[in-house]
Amino acid sequence: MALEDYRTDMEMCCRCSICKFVPLEKLTEKRHSYVCPSIARYNFHTYSGGGRTSMGLALLDEELEYDEKLLEVVYNCQMCGACDMSCKYAMDIEVLEPINEIRIKCVEGGHTVPALDGIISSLRNQATMVPGAKAKRGDWAAGLDVKDITKQQAGVIYHAGCRVCYDQDLRQVATNTIELLKKAGIDVGIAGENEICCGGRAYQMGYKEDFLNQAKKYMEIIRKSGAKTLVTGCADCYHAFKVPYDKFGLKGDLEVMHATEYLARLIEEGKLKPTKKVDIKVTYHDPCHLGRLGEPYIHWEGNPVPGHIRIFDPPKEFRRGTYGVYEPPRDVLKSIPGLKLVEMDRVKEYAWCCGAGGGVRESNPDFAKWTAGERISEAESTGADAIVTACSGCEQNFKETIDECGSSLKVYDVVELLARAI
Amino acid sequence: MVLKRELYQALEDVVGPENISEAPVILGSYAQRGRPRFEAVTLPKTTEEVQAIVRLCNRFGVQFKASSSGWGAYGDAGGPGVVKLDLRRMNRILEINEKNMYVVVEPYVIYAQLQAELMKRGLNCNITGAGSNCSALPLAAHQGIGHLSVSGSYGERNQLALEWVTPEGEIVRAGSLGSIGQWWCGDGPGPSLRGIIRGNVMPLGGLGVYTKAAQKIYHWPGPATFPIEGVSPHYRPNQIPPGFMIHYISFPSPEKLSKAAQKVGEAEIGFILMGFNPGMISANIATNNNEDLAYIKQFTDSVQGPGFLIIMAGNSPRDTEYKEKALQQIIDEYGGEPLEAVEEPKNAGGFMWRFIRVTSSIREVARASGIFAGEVGGTDVFPLMHQYIMRSAPVKQRYIDEGKLLADGTDPFVQSVEHGHAGHAELLIRFNKQDPGSLKVAGEIAQFANKTAIEGHFGVPGHAWGDAAHDQYGPHTLNYHKWLRKIKKTFDPNAASESTNYITADN
Repeated sequence: MALEDYRTDMEMCCRCSICKFVPLEKLTEKRHSYVCPSIARYNFHTYSGGGRTSMGLALLDEELEYDEKLLEVVYNCQMCGACDMSCKYAMDIEVLEPINEIRIKCVEGGHTVPALDGIISSLRNQATMVPGAKAKRGDWAAGLDVKDITKQQAGVIYHAGCRVCYDQDLRQVATNTIELLKKAGIDVGIAGENEICCGGRAYQMGYKEDFLNQAKKYMEIIRKSGAKTLVTGCADCYHAFKVPYDKFGLKGDLEVMHATEYLARLIEEGKLKPTKKVDIKVTYHDPCHLGRLGEPYIHWEGNPVPGHIRIFDPPKEFRRGTYGVYEPPRDVLKSIPGLKLVEMDRVKEYAWCCGAGGGVRESNPDFAKWTAGERISEAESTGADAIVTACSGCEQNFKETIDECGSSLKVYDVVELLARAI
Repeated sequence: MVLKRELYQALEDVVGPENISEAPVILGSYAQRGRPRFEAVTLPKTTEEVQAIVRLCNRFGVQFKASSSGWGAYGDAGGPGVVKLDLRRMNRILEINEKNMYVVVEPYVIYAQLQAELMKRGLNCNITGAGSNCSALPLAAHQGIGHLSVSGSYGERNQLALEWVTPEGEIVRAGSLGSIGQWWCGDGPGPSLRGIIRGNVMPLGGLGVYTKAAQKIYHWPGPATFPIEGVSPHYRPNQIPPGFMIHYISFPSPEKLSKAAQKVGEAEIGFILMGFNPGMISANIATNNNEDLAYIKQFTDSVQGPGFLIIMAGNSPRDTEYKEKALQQIIDEYGGEPLEAVEEPKNAGGFMWRFIRVTSSIREVARASGIFAGEVGGTDVFPLMHQYIMRSAPVKQRYIDEGKLLADGTDPFVQSVEHGHAGHAELLIRFNKQDPGSLKVAGEIAQFANKTAIEGHFGVPGHAWGDAAHDQYGPHTLNYHKWLRKIKKTFDPNAASESTNYITADN
């Protein structure tokens, strides 16, 4: 697919502005009624989903130059998909897909920003999205006594992800997950030193070819391991394996599960039993790429049916965020004795983004922190002691923002709290 | 043209560099495809900033145009040399006065936000029929008529005191705000400019900028938060609040529908009363276009003729009982039949909330093809408006038969305002905008509507804006267009307020 393939979707935008707000049926508070960080922060209509589709049409028709301002608009978006979901409450059009294609078109034309080029350079040279990473990728698993899937067969591959591998503060999630899986008797292995980046964030940033190269390499590792299931604790990686890998025909029969899905299943089957009390009041932050964007990819090829209503042959089913991963993380939290879960105003398919996605944390850290600050404030308004998430990117961005703003809110991953209870 | 650097710098000094742009990528998103672009877009935060921008535009001889939520092309530039005021940063609910039942808002508060805050206080507001995604400023959208108008009136009559930056940049505080600094009355003590400022369908950006306004609010007998569950787009409440009832009733003829609707008004039992046709009910419940087509067939096959959707909200068990009995009596008297699908437990709550929050107008008009058009009646005596709109139904059917419009039924929708004190009606069409034949049809239907209104003495409908329309209607309507031009010329001697959708001072 290319931007041109979404021309009619973009032409359908009627500028109603629902892409800027949480679904109006669910709006219960004015203060938390915006859903798109980009338009909320920068205010010009251009930064909204509707504004971006308008830009897409202008690019197709060569009405715009790829100047500095255009690139600023293009890359100041977390690709969180909130606009897409809110629009599709009412409309049968793609919004996030053409926004992604705009980025791909920019990259293909050499119109990029230095910060993201730097990350991609790291991906090309070191197979990681963490530039200048000094630690060895597999260090996090030292002493865990876990299978190396490049040498041994395992039923389940655990993918730690770039951030977890290279950030000491995030490693706990990976070690906890392995310990829990082993405790439940799961035949799990890791690629350790040989793990590579999934490529997902490269795709979000528009570097499609780099993503495809990375994805092909990764699937070769999986093929050789013989594993049937991949588990990851990173929402970005989860989305990459589950959605774009499938979109480009690379996923095959691989079962992709987020760690919270897998652990919720183990708890339900009685293979893990949280018994220790964890006295804490928490609120759960739905990561965009696990929640609304975490629903399966839907393959479709067809043509519009001529007439006065936009329908297709065969009928096209749009991904509207309906089948994202919302309950398993909550089920895990609810299984922990003593833990009290309270909800924020913006949850599930209309959750506010943490701010880190789409390359924004790297290209515009201030915007990433501003976005996180909005979420932290919302979490604080629930009276929770901690904000809990299921993505290393969200965790990292929240922690850094809290450090700067001086909030007393704690940040945890779901897995960390489960590990305390077992 | 490019703005003079001196002007651009002065505008930047007013709003700050982050809140002004003339970058092509920014300007492009403020223009519908193929239409002129603004010279710059500004994002004022205060009335004083609006005033300063307006004065600069006057001083430098350029035009300006403001808009709030900005749905539709009314907010676009009509030609070159226009500066945009995007009022997005003016987004505060300034006051909710529970005791005196009014609220004061800035232009970028949307109705969904306002309604959510009001419901927490046992209050509610009228919402323009275009949807709760639209500005809650009672001067923002045409006449501001909507689903709740049967019990919650409409923009023109709900509007109280207001703050207005005139086309020359003077700040005028109308109504009680102008004399005693309070918001509770639009017409005094102090200057009442209601007729001048509003006209028939608002100046649509052509007569300065409205920066704050108060409006009446109403009693809400429901819960503080409607108990909606599920994941988009499958929302529905886990229960219907006590006292709330929903029905879709079809009638054997348009005449019986009209009489039944008036009886509902006389009995004062309607919380919402909308004479939607089955096609609009279908779009409301359908979560995609394929479902929409299936529902159109199902609902059309299930009704005996034109109908209305009614939601009633009882304030007490006795009130609820009265409303149920009164409606049944009206149904019996005029041969009404319920559309059972609307009342089924799995559907009723969802229908109810979508109509109360007015979330589905986009589904009803834009999802099919991204565009809609049609004919908008005025706001006058209910039977007169019904009679007017009914004349166009055969025309729509002819175009449907020719394959130029979506076959979504030809019954127009008619609605009761203030319990039948007035009525309003519209006939909407949906079509493929890429089809030149269909675009031509949209124009022909509008022209037919104008001809009908003039020849039948139905008054000036709500779709009349711009010089051509006013010049067409004016000579048949007390030459109102001449007065409108005098207003424009008097308040905007420099023609600074861009008037494509209002009226220009030139004949």
